[in-house]
This record gives sequence, structure tokens and C-alpha cells, in this order.
Amino acid sequence: MAEYRLRQSHTALVGGIHPETHKAISLSRPCQSIPTPEHLLFPLHFSGGGAGEALVAVGDHVDQGTPIIRTESGLVHVASRSGWVVSCDPQPLAHPRHEPSPCIHIQTDPEGQAITLPPLQMADAETIRARAMEAGIVGMGGAGFPSHQKWAAGLTTLLINGAECEPYLTADDTIMRDQADAVIQGAATLATALGIAQIVIGIEDNKPEALEALQQAISEVEARQSFEIIVVPTKYPSGGERQLIWLTLELEISSRQHPIDQGILVHNPGTLAALHFSLQGQPITDRIITVTGEGVPRPQNFRVPIGTPIRELLIHAGLVQSTPYQVTVGGPMMGFELHSVDAPVIKTTNCILVREAVRQQIEPCIRCGACAEVCPVQLQPQRLYQMLSQDALGAADHEGLSDCIACAACNVVCPSNIPLASWFQHGRHQLREVAKQATIANQARQRFQAREARLTRVAADQERRRHERRSKSGDLLAKARQLREEHNG
Amino acid sequence: MTGNWLNLAMGAMALTALTLAGGALLSFAVRAFRVDGNPLVDSIDAVLPQTQCGQCGHPGCRPYAEAISNGEAINRCPPGGQDTVDRLAELLGIESLPLDADPETAAVDRVAVIIEEDCIGCTKCIKACPVDAILGAAKLMHTVLPDLCTGCDLCIAPCPVDCIEMVPRTPSPAAWVPTPPPLICSDQRPSTGAAHG
Repeated sequence: MAEYRLRQSHTALVGGIHPETHKAISLSRPCQSIPTPEHLLFPLHFSGGGAGEALVAVGDHVDQGTPIIRTESGLVHVASRSGWVVSCDPQPLAHPRHEPSPCIHIQTDPEGQAITLPPLQMADAETIRARAMEAGIVGMGGAGFPSHQKWAAGLTTLLINGAECEPYLTADDTIMRDQADAVIQGAATLATALGIAQIVIGIEDNKPEALEALQQAISEVEARQSFEIIVVPTKYPSGGERQLIWLTLELEISSRQHPIDQGILVHNPGTLAALHFSLQGQPITDRIITVTGEGVPRPQNFRVPIGTPIRELLIHAGLVQSTPYQVTVGGPMMGFELHSVDAPVIKTTNCILVREAVRQQIEPCIRCGACAEVCPVQLQPQRLYQMLSQDALGAADHEGLSDCIACAACNVVCPSNIPLASWFQHGRHQLREVAKQATIANQARQRFQAREARLTRVAADQERRRHERRSKSGDLLAKARQLREEHNG
Repeated sequence: MTGNWLNLAMGAMALTALTLAGGALLSFAVRAFRVDGNPLVDSIDAVLPQTQCGQCGHPGCRPYAEAISNGEAINRCPPGGQDTVDRLAELLGIESLPLDADPETAAVDRVAVIIEEDCIGCTKCIKACPVDAILGAAKLMHTVLPDLCTGCDLCIAPCPVDCIEMVPRTPSPAAWVPTPPPLICSDQRPSTGAAHG
């Protein structure tokens, strides 16, 4: 019943590349749920929302939906299936940090129950925030940032990022096709709660089925907001947050600002669908993952309980042995190599990509400038690379290193196979460290100065009191002398 | 003849007026654009790590910054490490020096920890802490706020029961450092650490 406007994007992406998309291979089969695996693992500190503490002890029985981890942001992660807590030992992670980290290990119980939260019909900003925290809603597009922290006051536009520009990935596409109603209803409820008047959907033109499903869902939803669907041409990285804002809303966000500073809230369709289900009482227990690549016999999307070991997924996709293959988590552009298939799926795991392992020889930079042509933020990657390899962090910062969105388009076009994006990721991490140290030093300076000022003030106070005492006792002495003289006289 | 004198007088008056106007402008500028303190000391102080530990022989980072601006050696700050020496050298436009401390021990980021069973509540460490990072009251147990502790060691000596220990700072369990990418020979880093800009 809601109205919507459909149009093509008026603006074009700066730079960018057209990699082979390979999306059809995982869409040839419908999305399928996998049976509950025997074991589930939940990383204590890397499930999204920062370092966490366990809310259960070894030996406890948990139901599906029982809170098991509370993170430092206040967000709670729940058990995705019922079972017994077996241990909390370091396990390998599906995270760019490869070192093992403590994970809650649950042995599933086939006879277990599921607990749900009370459904919410109408939600205001406070209740929806509280619900997102207890249902464990984090950004499912990749960053894993707690969604409720983005819901500030003064937002005007909700942008649904349905671009999914990474090759091979079809998880968001599948969500938009199969759960379009949930995406649109989640968006409408969130927009109503936060007082957002405009909902914009950015979608690449290679997803006609998803587009149709979204149109259908919008025409059926009852919402006060105005909807607009903007179709953007297929080009990587049009799904970058700032890139999609430029393509749809024609706004440029400076690197020192966040889109919410301009009143724009960007969410992945998966996050909005999860929010919709959480309002109906279902915390996040499952997510849709693309298992694809030339290395798997049956590439397709799976609906997977969070915490499932990646090994299980590969088995369901028909992989018998994985030795000659390289397993990547995420897309081929921004994903990272998986070191152990025993690592569990977390809320941000959107794709398992199995391809033949190719090790390319890194050659010296020939200054061809191909990287500068494809950079979507108009940096000079070859110059940045030169600076970072010489440890000139300050110069790289000045050159705009912090603007890098880590899209890795430069990696693809580099004829010397230089891992430029990893250099920039490392450099940006170092920049953040330097900034953090500077903040700590500044706070220490302020505390030191405040203490110095206090000590001076206290010393001055004491001096004044001593002086007063001395003058008072001097007065008394003089008075006594005077009395004695009077007495004698 | 009178014309000449008149010209001369006019010239003298014009010059006097110009001088006075210039003087007035200067005296105004001196007052309006006065810089309090030494800006060089501020920029040196900004590079120093603000541990306020006194290992340089000065009672705090700012006094050392003042001493550097008066020509003292720039390599006396162990908590800052070689990195700080390099940045100071670049700031001041002078040759860098090797750090005047064991770089192994200087590089470790440490925090003070009070062994709470042994603490007698004497408040001596509280008075010694330059950044007010210790909480406690007389005859009550004290504790160090690890986020505020700069690891300066100044609380160790005053403790009458030796209940303060310096331990390496534990990073957040959720922290991770991206692995540095491989280097190829032609882009090898120079062996002596190039300065940060």
C-alpha cells in the first residue's frame, strides 16, 4: 500500500572496476537450511560488539535464545540452538585475526527448546534499542558494529545497502528475494521509531529478482515513509557506504565525518530482516551464507545456525577434501584467508569462497598508475605504498591514507601483484594507534596539570592559614604583654 | 627660500606622523598578538609521552621540554623510546641520537598493580602518583586505575611494604593487529628508523 519511486542513479562511481561477478553459480540452487550440527562455537570476544564475558558456565544447559555472551557495548549474543556448554577454550576464528581466542563450545541437544522474546507491535526509539541489544543485532554486512549505536537522534534518511557489489556473493540477494517483506517491514518499523521520513534502497542492476521482490513488498507494507528504489550500475565497489550514498543521495561525506552526522543511516538488508524478526520475538540465531567458488561441487546459499563450524558448511556443499584449495571468508575482494575450517560462523560471515590456491609473485612497483585510475576515493595508491614501505606514516596520513575504504580494487589491477590494500589496512591501523597514544598522552598531561594546580592551591592555602595563625598568636602575645605591663604598672 | 623650509618641515612632519602611526600599530600588535609561553616548548611537549616519570632528570615532561628547548640532549626519555627521539630530531631539525636507555626494557608498556592483600593503606603512593591514577584512603586498601596509569614507576619507591608491582599492560582481548604485508627486496626499509612525518 505504500508508494514508491523507482529510478536509475544519476551519478557515476569514481574509479572502480568490473570484475567477473560469478554470482550465478550459487544462485542456481535455492537457499537451504542445514540440519543442526553436533557442535557450535561462539567466540567470546569476536562475535561483534567488542570484548565479551560469558553469561553461562561449563555444564549449563542452554535453550535456543538463551543469552550466553554479554559484550562491552552492552549487546547480548544468544545461543543459536539448545545444548550443553562443554568448554570455553581458545579455538581458531573466522576473523582476520587468526590467533585462537576463547569460544563457548556448545554440544547441541536435539530435544532442546527455543525461547523467544515477547513480540513488540509498536516500538519507540528506546524499546527498539533495548530489543536490538537483547536480540544481538549487529551489522550483518561485514563490520559487525552494534546497530543500536548508530541510531542517533536527528536522522532523516534510512539507506538500505542492497548493492552487494563483491563478486561471488549472493547472500544479500537471497535475503532480498526470500525475505523482502521482513527487510521492508524492519526498515519501516525502524524508520517510524527513529522519526525517519525517507527510506532509500540502493540496489545494483544485476539483481532483477530481488528488485521485483522489494517492489512487491513495498506495495504491500503499511508505512508512513516515502520509499525510493535507486538502481545503480554494476561496478565494484558501489556497495561501499560512502560510494552508495554518492550514487543514491548524491552526497559526499568527508572522511572526518560519519554518514549519521549528515542524518543518513545505512543498513544492510540482512540487518533489517534480523531486526524485524527480533521485534517478533526471534533473536538472531541463523544467517544466510553463500558457499561458492570453483572448489565446491554444489555451490549455494545456506541458512546456518550461528556458531556452525565452517567444515560442516563445506561438507554440505559437497567438498570432500580441501587441500589444494584456498578458503576465503567474505568476497574475493575484501575477504580474508581462513586458516582453519574448524573456525565457526559468526554474524558477519557472509560468504565462504573456495578457489584454487594461486600464489602470485610480488614484483616491484613500476609506477604505471593503474591503481590510481581505479581508486574510488581518488587516492594515489602507488605513492601511499611507497610512503608506507618506507615507514613514512605521517606523509601517508597527509596523502589521505585514512580515506582508504579497503576495497582492494588497486590489488586487482596491479600488474606487479603488490598487496596494496593490506599495506593500507596496516597503515590505517598504525595511524589509529598513534592517535590513541596521543589521546592517552593528552589525558595524562591534563591530569598532571590539574594535580600541579591542586598542589599549588593547597600549598598556598596552608601558607595563608599558617600566616593567619601566626598573626593571631602574635596578637595574643602582645595583648598578654600589655596586660602584664598594666598589672606591674 | 621659504618654500624650501616649508618643504623640509612638511617632510619632517610626514615622517614623524608615519613613525608615530607605525609605533602605535606595533604596540597594538604586541598586545593583541602576544604569545604566552614558548610555542617551541609546546610542540616538544606534544611529542613527549606524558608519563611524567622523571627518568630524564626533570620533574615531568614539560620541564624536560623546556630543557630541550634550551639545548639539552633529546635522547633522555626512555618511555618514549627511539621513536620519540626520532620525532624530536625531526621537529628540531637536528641529528637523531640513540636512546640513552636499554631499548628492550624501555619499549615495554607497563602498569602498576597494587597487591591488595599486602596494602596497609598508608596513602604514600597516592601522593607520589603524578597523574592521580591511584584510588584509596588512609587505612583503606588502594588500587591503581590501569587506564590512567602511565607506568612511571614513581609509586614503587614510597611504598613501605613493597606491595606495588609493574606488570606489562594487557591488551583488550578483542584487539587485533593486521599482519604487515610482505616486503620485496627493492622496497626494503632503511635499516636506521626513518622518522615519522
